[in-house]
Amino acid sequence: MAYLELAKVSKGFGPPSQRTAVLADVELAVDENEFVAILGFSGSGKSTLVGILAGLIDPDEGDVMLANKVVVDPGPERGVMFQNYSLLPWLTVEGNIALAVRKVMPGLSRVERAEYVQRYVDMVNLTGSEAKCPDELSGGMRQRASLARTLAMRPNVLLLDEPLSALDALTRANLQDEIVRIWEEDKRTVVMITNDVDEAALMADRIIVLTPGPRATLGPSFDVDLPRPRDRAGLNRDRRFQALRKRITGYMLNFTKTQAGDEARSRRRMPAIEPRVFEAA
Amino acid sequence: MPYRYKPNLRRCLTAAFFAMAAAVIANPQPLLAAPPSGEKVYSELEKEALRFGFIKLTDCAPIVMAKEKGFFEEEGLQVEVIAQPNWKTLLDNVVSGELDGAHMLSGQPLAATIGFGTKAHIITPFTMDLNGNGITVSNSIWEQMQSNDPALDAPQPKHPITAEALKPIVADKLAAGEKLQMGMVFPVSTHNYELRYWLASAGIHPGMYTKSDIGGRTDAEVELSVTPPPMMPATLEAGNIQGYCVGEPWNQQAVAKGIGVPVTTNYDIWKNNPEKVFGITKRWADDHPGTTVAVVKALIRAGKWLDQTDADGAFVNREEAARILSRTDYVGADFEVIKNSMTGYFYFQKSDKRAMPDFNVFFRHQCTYPWYSDGIWFLTQMRRWGQISESKPASWYLDVAKKVYRPDIYEAAARVLVTEGYLEEGDVPFGSDGFKPETDEFIDGIAYDGRKPIEYIRAHEIGNKDPVDLAAR
Amino acid sequence: MKYKILKAIDVSGLTFLAPIVRLATGEEPDVQIRAIMQMIVVPIVAFAVFVGLWSQLAPRHKTKSGEVPTPAVVWDAAQGIWTFHAREGDKETAYVLAGEQRESALMAAKDRLAEIDPLTELADRQVADAEQEKSAQVAELTAPLRTKLAVVSERYGADQAARKARWMERADRTAVSDTDARLALLGAWNEHDLRTREEREELKNLRAEIDTVGAQAFPALSAAQKAQTAIAEERQFLRKRIEVLTAYNRNEKARAGEQQLADLRSKYLQADGGAAMAGLAANIARTRTRVESIRESNYARPYTLPMQILRSLLCVFVGFLLGSLIAIPIGILCGLSPTFMAAMMPFIALFKPVSPIVWLPIALIVVGGFIPDPDDHWLINGFAGLPLVGWMKINPAFLASAITVALCSMWATMVNTALGVASIDDDHTNVARMLRLSARERLFRIVLPSALPLIFAGLRISLSVGWMVLIAAELLSSSEGIGKYVWDMFNNGASDSFAKMFVVVFVVGSIGLALDRIMIVFQRLVSFDGAPTAI
Repeated sequence: MAYLELAKVSKGFGPPSQRTAVLADVELAVDENEFVAILGFSGSGKSTLVGILAGLIDPDEGDVMLANKVVVDPGPERGVMFQNYSLLPWLTVEGNIALAVRKVMPGLSRVERAEYVQRYVDMVNLTGSEAKCPDELSGGMRQRASLARTLAMRPNVLLLDEPLSALDALTRANLQDEIVRIWEEDKRTVVMITNDVDEAALMADRIIVLTPGPRATLGPSFDVDLPRPRDRAGLNRDRRFQALRKRITGYMLNFTKTQAGDEARSRRRMPAIEPRVFEAA
Repeated sequence: MPYRYKPNLRRCLTAAFFAMAAAVIANPQPLLAAPPSGEKVYSELEKEALRFGFIKLTDCAPIVMAKEKGFFEEEGLQVEVIAQPNWKTLLDNVVSGELDGAHMLSGQPLAATIGFGTKAHIITPFTMDLNGNGITVSNSIWEQMQSNDPALDAPQPKHPITAEALKPIVADKLAAGEKLQMGMVFPVSTHNYELRYWLASAGIHPGMYTKSDIGGRTDAEVELSVTPPPMMPATLEAGNIQGYCVGEPWNQQAVAKGIGVPVTTNYDIWKNNPEKVFGITKRWADDHPGTTVAVVKALIRAGKWLDQTDADGAFVNREEAARILSRTDYVGADFEVIKNSMTGYFYFQKSDKRAMPDFNVFFRHQCTYPWYSDGIWFLTQMRRWGQISESKPASWYLDVAKKVYRPDIYEAAARVLVTEGYLEEGDVPFGSDGFKPETDEFIDGIAYDGRKPIEYIRAHEIGNKDPVDLAAR
Repeated sequence: MKYKILKAIDVSGLTFLAPIVRLATGEEPDVQIRAIMQMIVVPIVAFAVFVGLWSQLAPRHKTKSGEVPTPAVVWDAAQGIWTFHAREGDKETAYVLAGEQRESALMAAKDRLAEIDPLTELADRQVADAEQEKSAQVAELTAPLRTKLAVVSERYGADQAARKARWMERADRTAVSDTDARLALLGAWNEHDLRTREEREELKNLRAEIDTVGAQAFPALSAAQKAQTAIAEERQFLRKRIEVLTAYNRNEKARAGEQQLADLRSKYLQADGGAAMAGLAANIARTRTRVESIRESNYARPYTLPMQILRSLLCVFVGFLLGSLIAIPIGILCGLSPTFMAAMMPFIALFKPVSPIVWLPIALIVVGGFIPDPDDHWLINGFAGLPLVGWMKINPAFLASAITVALCSMWATMVNTALGVASIDDDHTNVARMLRLSARERLFRIVLPSALPLIFAGLRISLSVGWMVLIAAELLSSSEGIGKYVWDMFNNGASDSFAKMFVVVFVVGSIGLALDRIMIVFQRLVSFDGAPTAI
């Protein structure tokens, strides 16, 4: 029985006359405590997909189901780790995490809350930077803070929206390891969006390819049957890994050729929400 | 209701305060005038800290001197004297209670009481001064007047100068489709009436006020507009007006700056005409009867101090007064400028300095007494020029004057001053009926008797005239 | 330590101090010196050049209404303002002094008076001498002109009379039938008229020339007059101070009153009969009241510029606070709800451009309606009871000015608040939604903090607008403050009035600058994006 499901989900943007369908007939089933990576081209609607899973975007058609129940609104049980961190810049690292904790666990006393926050700060190795504001942190540290905030919410489902794409290779590798470590220590359902095959293969139990838009949908799913813990250095020499990578890239390259990928890439996704223009009187 | 201001000594405290005060002061000092023979009589004060308003004109002197020379303090009053930006704000502040009393134009209490402009019952127990205004014209108008009347083209032309020489200029302007523009300070100001009187006495129509024309320009041959006194020289220089009627120091300022020539003073228009009054609301006076008497006492003493002369008839205190008035929080103009008119001199041109001992009168001629006949004269002018739009019977004039002018308060204060020894019995017209004797000392020689307002209005050629039968009513 | 100082400098916006700190710690001397040159020396030099040009150019520009004061004159005026303030303060303290303090103050004042009394005569003599010298000099300078004027005027008079006589003679001789001759005569008359006018013009110019010479500045005389004024004013001040220290002193008056009370009491004890006793009893009661009120009374001092500045600051602060209390909630609602914004838009558009000159009379009427008796109103009394600002005598004019400030200045805050709230980052909204924050939490935890930098930018504009508006409002409402001071100086029209207005220019400018810097500091403290807030 799947824990998190998408049933016949479609989403389009723009006015009815020239509506661009971004996602069409997306079907997804993720088991409890499963780590699924969704691998997609840039501009294929990955963020829209996360938005729908998180409840931040309402699908035009279809439902999001969590433990067999249809969910509509966002909520802390589906913790999102945003691509651009989404930390509140006027709060410190501690403050950002505490804001989430206060909401999820309102019963904690001040001391308990501080201890709880500290645990997550330590967990993501941010000890010592608790009192810093986001703009005093590097990109990697910000993403750690974001991760800590998301984890501190103790979500049933962790939605990672290209969390590492803005980071340099070394930081990225570090964080990959840490996310996997944390997940292994405290298993839960994870859906990670990425555009990096290696990352997906390194971290996920299963990889699902999102076909290029418009009308993107989920393609075949590839099981990653590599034993854990996976060794980054050894992986490259692993035959199964090489085969998996070859299959996935082959599948995706095929798309590029047949589906006029150029066209797809040139059609930028419309922004999710139009900025409201304030007319000064 | 029995009248409450009668010089009833039971209401007041008697004590030899001053003598004792002098005794206990460790270091008796010679600067204070020695107290006169009588005993100091204290009014029962309902309020001690007062705020009085004034406009920056030299005739605010009685209020300023009462403060600076300690006359208020001797009555137990602490008075703040605050410059006001214009006559309207000053009146509004008195009405709102922001000020306890103020230096006012004679027309203001009358106009407020009959409801022309701001409506409020204002009374005046004290007339502040006589004369003190001048009419100044621009240099170019003066030259044209000189060419119209060569007699004016002299270093010291003969006075009074009438508006006859101005008449051709007005006619030329009218022929060219223009009107001569002149400034005055307020619709109910003495300046407005004096300027109109001067023009009309030479047959120049200064315009009528009507119900719909509150600017007073209907039928005008010369248009008059309101300009705040301090703005007069600048407005004249800018060419917006060609002449103005205003109090001091603004005529002397025009001479000092060389932008205009005072052609006449109001002394020539009406010898010893009443000028400013001290105004308070009726309500305030009713609520503070003792304080009102104390204030009037101090003001009378200030007026007397200002008019004190030595054996030769020269003013002894005016120079000091000019010095005080030149302080920035009072009139603030240069001492040299204030000194001229205050010490009894007036520059008509740089080359034409004349002695005018009566340019400012603060006490002599029993001038501080609130005469009904003074109030009635202003009412006749309001009627003459249409500010009072309906005909009124003669009795109405006296009724209004009695509502506004309060010799009873003045006499109560003066009586105490006589007891104290500050005044002679003869300084005050005790028990007068409130009318000055008939006078014809006007520029046009028309006689004025306050008892006959209707006849007086009818005697003038220009302006409203009321039916004769109103005279008896 | 160094970094703490640098950080403080950065937050306070006093960045020009940074190179000095760095230089003091020996960091890259070349770079720091260049920075100091640019940030400190250049502005100082520019200001010096400005003052130099000003002192050179000012005396060359004269109008009939006065002359542009030079920096030295303005400096004198500033000192004059301060002297006046200090003297009024002295009188105020003299009123309440008691005991030894009073006596020593009295002694000092008397000594000083004795010192300057002889100077008065000297100063008067100097003025008289200077005047004499001036008139002698003017007479000497104008003597040739006057002679010329007399000669020319006489000659022209004779010429004119002669011309007229000749013409009359000719006219007498022309017969009625001789039209040509008569027409020729008409031409001759016109010629005569023209000549006469030319001659008159020439005389006028001559007189003007004499006047100009007479009106020339005479430095010795103005210096003598200035000295005379200074002494006369100090003398007047000392005499008044001595009076206030003696007969008009609060404690002396109270003491005398008490003496009187004792007298009355003994009279009362010996009085015969009910009527006499009643009269004396009433007398005693009244005297006691009077003595009590004397004890509590204060010297009625006039407002001086330093006090007016403080009152203006309070007024702008009250107005600014009032405006902000209105603008920020409305701005938030506008930002949150496009519908509310649409409802408010006409009002904002309509009221924003209205000038303070229009608001003020309306504010005065409205305030006057709520405060029928300024002597007895809870708001006025409440202000009077406050520490620090109680002496400022808050009155309806003050409140009307503050309301005018609020009405004119709140728009920037309102618009900026609405903009800040409306343009909140979607990411932050998403966080709020994910955390299921309640409306209140969302407002206070997400919306307001995120809009704060823009709100403060708006407040900063509001404050500087308010400060500008205040001067106009005070001028109109005659609420004691800088605006009233300017109007009073303008009304005074004395020779130093312009200079005093120049002093106000610098005072108003400096305070405006200081207020702006303070707002920048606040803005920096709340801004999280590190964006530059101001130059």
